[in-house]
Amino acid sequence: MVRISALVPALLAVLPCAAVHADGLAIRARKVLLAELDGRQFLDNAVVLVEDGRIVAVGAADEVVVPDGYELIDAGDQWISPGMIDLHSHVGGPSGDLNGTVYQINPGLRISSAVVPNNMILKRAVAGGVTTVLFIPGSGSNMGGQGILMKTDAESYEAGRVRDPGSLKVAQGDNPTRWGYGMGRQMMNFHLRTTLRKGRAYAQRWKAYEEGRGPKPEREIQRDLFRSLFARETQVSTHTQYYQLVMMSIAMLAGEFGLDTYIDHGSFDSYLTTDQAKPLGVAAILGPREVMWPRPPRYRTDGQAHGTAWGFQKEGHDRIGFNTDAVGLGSFTVAQEELSTQAAMSVRYGLDDSSMEGVRGLTIIPATAAGIADRVGSIEVGKDADLLITTGDPADPRSAVTRVLIGGVIVYDTEHDRRRW
Amino acid sequence: MKRIFGSSILSSIAALAAATWLTTATVLAGDNPAPAPPPAAGAPGGPGLAVFAKKIVTGQYQGRAAVDNAVLLVKDGRIEAVAGCDEAAVPEDYEQLDLGPLWLSPGLIELHCHVACSFGRDHSETAYLANPGMRSSTLIVPEFIHLRNAVAGGVTTVLYIPGSATNMGGQGVLLRTGGKTYEEMLIRDPGSLKLAQAGNPERIGPWYSGRSFMNYNTRSVFRRGVNYAKRRKAAAEGKGEPVERDLMFDVFPHLLEGDTQVSTHTQIYQVVLMTLSMVRKEFGLPVYIDHGTFDGFVAAKLASDLDVPAILGPRQISRAYNFPGFSTIDHDGKLFGVAAEYQRRGHQKVGFNTDAVSFMGPGGPSQEELALQAAMGVRYGFRNTQAEAVQGVTIVPAMAAGLDDELGSLEVGKLADMIVTTGDPNDPRCCVEMVFQGGKKIYDTKTDMRRF
Repeated sequence: MVRISALVPALLAVLPCAAVHADGLAIRARKVLLAELDGRQFLDNAVVLVEDGRIVAVGAADEVVVPDGYELIDAGDQWISPGMIDLHSHVGGPSGDLNGTVYQINPGLRISSAVVPNNMILKRAVAGGVTTVLFIPGSGSNMGGQGILMKTDAESYEAGRVRDPGSLKVAQGDNPTRWGYGMGRQMMNFHLRTTLRKGRAYAQRWKAYEEGRGPKPEREIQRDLFRSLFARETQVSTHTQYYQLVMMSIAMLAGEFGLDTYIDHGSFDSYLTTDQAKPLGVAAILGPREVMWPRPPRYRTDGQAHGTAWGFQKEGHDRIGFNTDAVGLGSFTVAQEELSTQAAMSVRYGLDDSSMEGVRGLTIIPATAAGIADRVGSIEVGKDADLLITTGDPADPRSAVTRVLIGGVIVYDTEHDRRRW
Repeated sequence: MKRIFGSSILSSIAALAAATWLTTATVLAGDNPAPAPPPAAGAPGGPGLAVFAKKIVTGQYQGRAAVDNAVLLVKDGRIEAVAGCDEAAVPEDYEQLDLGPLWLSPGLIELHCHVACSFGRDHSETAYLANPGMRSSTLIVPEFIHLRNAVAGGVTTVLYIPGSATNMGGQGVLLRTGGKTYEEMLIRDPGSLKLAQAGNPERIGPWYSGRSFMNYNTRSVFRRGVNYAKRRKAAAEGKGEPVERDLMFDVFPHLLEGDTQVSTHTQIYQVVLMTLSMVRKEFGLPVYIDHGTFDGFVAAKLASDLDVPAILGPRQISRAYNFPGFSTIDHDGKLFGVAAEYQRRGHQKVGFNTDAVSFMGPGGPSQEELALQAAMGVRYGFRNTQAEAVQGVTIVPAMAAGLDDELGSLEVGKLADMIVTTGDPNDPRCCVEMVFQGGKKIYDTKTDMRRF
């Protein structure tokens, strides 16, 4: 438990006594969901202190001392939780321009060139409690290009950027087969492995040069990404689903090439790969299909509907998250603002939510998978103050988001702004 | 309005059961037939059943929304009492079922279902431009997988209807999801006449029919149908020449008598307006909206005044469809909850549907997710202080389809179609643990395979 009373004199010493503007923000609520990766999950009747855009304290209301000059928000019976994170979003820019499909493989394409900060769909994402997204290329080719991790409310591209490249988007089956003459799984597999081998060689040449062991390589924009990828500074976010495809994703990307990889659909019977995924640290970020309906003869089931998250959990996976695959307006995937519904539907289809697995799958699990858990994903001291205030459990789709803070700034407040729905 | 529950449902079930028993007995005479198990408590012919629950959501229309720590008595398939545990006297010979912390609610009712048959393409006949004579009852597959999923999702009644490929797709049929034969499933045929006003029928044929033509086509068929019904009625009353039966128009006498309704694929303000002015005002037929989305809510006040229920779905929000033809509302980036907007404009009969189709794409609503439609209505602003969301999937659709004498709420005298859930049936995270139809348990996760 953080007791910050000892810090108060120090804080006060550096703060002007008659500050016109509040020096920080203290938010009290009936329930605060912390969602720490391995630690505390929630506190009842607690306070979160925010200063300079970051969380500086969190604890029980009767233990945390609120420094003078702090603005107080009493959220009453409402809940505070970490902002939600969607690792499969296509709405960071205008829809429809997601796939460059001149080539079958496009590791050099950057979706960051298509970002429109604060676009209309991102505003709705905020109203739905989604504060960080991985905006990625589509699955029109085997390697769609580089995604970008960004905040959903930002005045500019630079202000919103969390990390670029946010990932390399790989699409293993289904959609890329529509390219050109059509490609089968063998061809796609060949393509990916060939490109990854060339990329690794490129990254190794640069590493050798930097360590004084070789000549300076010529820069190739199509392969630049592989330097950060093989240094495990970014991840492969993989459009992969069905048992066989997910097995190949894990074996090739995480196993053969040792890349930091996560599943970024994983629907249908993919949970059968849990034993391979877990030891290699491959998280399962699931959606937008949360359930596998029995559809003989493709899947031989006994008539029972298998929740994908239920399956991964049953097999012992402990890194299960959710995504929407949101695209543009009026699409057939899940809308960006409905990320929390994905968790709710997983619970509906069998996920045990008794240890807050639903909320974790929207916050700390995707943050960890994307390597940004040092900044976002839980309510912990030092992290960005990306906070939601909701009328109840944020994983209940009927709960309303009443306030959203991103980087300590209130970017949505239903009391003052017009409600977006 | 007269209801056609035809002969009493229960007596027909009983007769069927008796007939089956007789046949079996005849065939197996001499083979020492195993005696049939006696009817379970609550089921027709069985002893009474007392169900205790932490909460009973009644579904009662604008009445008592819920009873805490309650008991419900069932005998011969019908509800005898719903009361607080301390108010009701439970007869001694009644079997007791204590649900502990679970909730008891009415079975959910779906008025826009396409999944009682395995072949999606057969939903829509498109040889003619209007097909009031087609009957979806000819396609039913009892115990079809989607129906079993529907049961597991708490949906006990569906209106299985033709698609919207033509202006009049044909006759829907109201079914129990749990029956093992068509006869056991049947609640009412015709369950509705499916009318599709715009938004799909344009696609028929190599030509393109616009809204003017579709309006003409629809009015023309209604006019002929209503005339046919009037001639038949006059003839039956000895006031005119005998009228030869015409299968294409046979549904219209039912509509004119109020025995069935027009269930209307209608959405977008202008199209909903046409539904109200043509079907309700011009022809005076019982009708309900069976999509009502986009900016259809702008017509909510008029619909309410004309007593046209609004059964909404599967889109529960109106996004920024600001291009011509789709919206008269300047969204300015705002989302409108469709149900919330009907409610805000004073409509008192707002329900929900799924439009479930066999094809299950990632965004396609499936039959068992009816409760989710209501939850999304709440998410986008539908007031739910008096369990309105539960009413929107129970009593409101029952009223729209003329079933509310028998179904749609847990009230004395009604059929015991009930679901047992781990919490609020509108919370999609809750599980359905048991389903009863006419007092008979048809799904129990403790003894049957849990379907999800």
